[in-house]
Amino acid sequence: MIHLSRFAGKLIFGFTLAFLLQLGNGAFAQDGKALFSANCASCHSVTKKSTGPALAGVEDRWPDKKMLHAWIRNSQAVIKSGYPYAVNLYNEYKIAMNSFTSFSDADIDAILGYIKTEAAKKPEGPTNPDGPVAESDNSLLFGILTLVLAVVAFILLQVNSNLRKLADDKDGIPAQEPVPFWRNKTYIAFVAVILFLVGGFFTVKGAIGLGRTQNYEPKQPIFYSHKVHAGTNQINCLYCHGNAQESKQATIPSVNVCMNCHMSINEYTGKDKLFNAEGEEVNGTAEIQKLYKYAGFTPGQPWDASKATPIEWTRIHNLPDHVYFNHSQHVAAGKVQCQTCHGEINKMDEVKQFADLSMGWCINCHRTTQVQFKDNGYYSIYEKYHENLKNGKFDSTKGITVEMIGGTECQKCHY
Amino acid sequence: MKKLSIIFVLAAGVTIVGCSDVKRKPGAVYMPDMGDSRAYETYADHKHLADSGIFYNNRPVNGTIARGEELPFPLAKDAVGDSTNYVASKAIPNPLPALNAAELKEAERLYLINCGICHGSKLDGNGPLYKGGDGPYVAKPAQLVGAQYDNMPDGQMFYSVQYGKNMMGSYASQLSRKQRWSIIHYIKAKQAEAKGGSAAPAAQDSTSTAKK
Repeated sequence: MIHLSRFAGKLIFGFTLAFLLQLGNGAFAQDGKALFSANCASCHSVTKKSTGPALAGVEDRWPDKKMLHAWIRNSQAVIKSGYPYAVNLYNEYKIAMNSFTSFSDADIDAILGYIKTEAAKKPEGPTNPDGPVAESDNSLLFGILTLVLAVVAFILLQVNSNLRKLADDKDGIPAQEPVPFWRNKTYIAFVAVILFLVGGFFTVKGAIGLGRTQNYEPKQPIFYSHKVHAGTNQINCLYCHGNAQESKQATIPSVNVCMNCHMSINEYTGKDKLFNAEGEEVNGTAEIQKLYKYAGFTPGQPWDASKATPIEWTRIHNLPDHVYFNHSQHVAAGKVQCQTCHGEINKMDEVKQFADLSMGWCINCHRTTQVQFKDNGYYSIYEKYHENLKNGKFDSTKGITVEMIGGTECQKCHY
Repeated sequence: MKKLSIIFVLAAGVTIVGCSDVKRKPGAVYMPDMGDSRAYETYADHKHLADSGIFYNNRPVNGTIARGEELPFPLAKDAVGDSTNYVASKAIPNPLPALNAAELKEAERLYLINCGICHGSKLDGNGPLYKGGDGPYVAKPAQLVGAQYDNMPDGQMFYSVQYGKNMMGSYASQLSRKQRWSIIHYIKAKQAEAKGGSAAPAAQDSTSTAKK
């Protein structure tokens, strides 16, 4: 009995020890993570080259652990001592590493421990086994159904006429000379009217659409997904199209704006797979490589911006020359959201023209949109309107529309 | 009759299958006489202008300064591996006077559009592109509030925004010099706020400019 309890005691002791060790390990890794992100992460990544080298396997690259500690505390001193690996490292990156003299051995070991555990983790690739979400398009089904029904109706009509003929024969009524349906006047008139209506509809629709490019969705030189950039990563529209608030043109960003982020981001690791409008899968990393080709950039090497060549994007929204449209007037003064005219761009992988950009579309918006008077210096001169709004002469809930301040005058846009 | 119906069904099938709703071509235009611009529009191809002896490179003449714009930064970009001008930039003061409330608000808006994506809306270096390491950005962006950057002089900040630093690119093409200096004012104001200084951010700013 005593034997057993002693054994149990040992067991409990052992478990407790193991548990404590485990806890200690966890705390150790956590500490390493905090230290890493506070001191190292701005220049180093575990798995990728950044300002400095990727740190996975760093302990194996340094033959001497003492030397590595010395390097982290004061890299300049190690370089001066002429240690060949250190000198090569400096020559490769051409940037001096900050000194971390305050690190204790335990701190450095904690960081190295964190790097080891991070490096051992497998990288997560994009996962989306379901493929593209098939948009339920029922028009084909409806078309087939209509065709089937039409055939059934036609057969029934034939059956009906045959039966009547049989009945007439039985009753002894002399059968009329059967008129084939393509010479039947009712049929011909019916078909003519249908053709006129359908043909007229498509002719008018086509004529109105001439020169308008609604839903135009060209293939661009690089598959650039607005959904990933403006949607998932929440980049403001004005980060790239900054001129929308300052000039007539919203402007397409130059390559250096892309490279602000893509100097560091050289592969697509998003959770969602990318698909083009036809539903074919797109390799995001390969598209970033296309950007590097335009930029003349090799990952891991300093970028010379003067080697970049412009990307010739295909223009989608194009107003005729006889219409004046100014982005800054709408974005800065009018405080109109980009999505009002461009649709939910932050959900589009490939951009397509959302509005038809017709004159009726412009005018309708000018008739219904209220002028944003509040805290808006651009409209402070409309004193009469301000007064009338205050006096209650104008219904403040309805506000002042763009039309009331001259937004539908011909010369506003055509001159 | 039978042959006709087979042809009809086949033709209908081809039209239905061939009709993709992805519009890759812009469509037809009728008499675009007043649609196409005769003048050179933005992004129009003007490569052949040089053949007619017209010089045009869509850049301002060297040395010109736009109305209302600040004077150019006096230091050039360091060569790779050199940091002379980066260190020298510490001595350059912020040419803008302390911002008033409206200007500070505009500077904040510009910060959130151009800087917040990496440096975070709280200036904690944890913007949506980094997300504590989960975002696509590899390097941890600088935590602008905190000991490391609290003491960084305005001029050195401007150097980094103008020419880029480490993984950060140059923002000279996206923000005017005036906007860049005003954003630095905003960052300094936020740093003072985070330190818990009872002094108004604007006042704090003017002292930091005067100090050089």
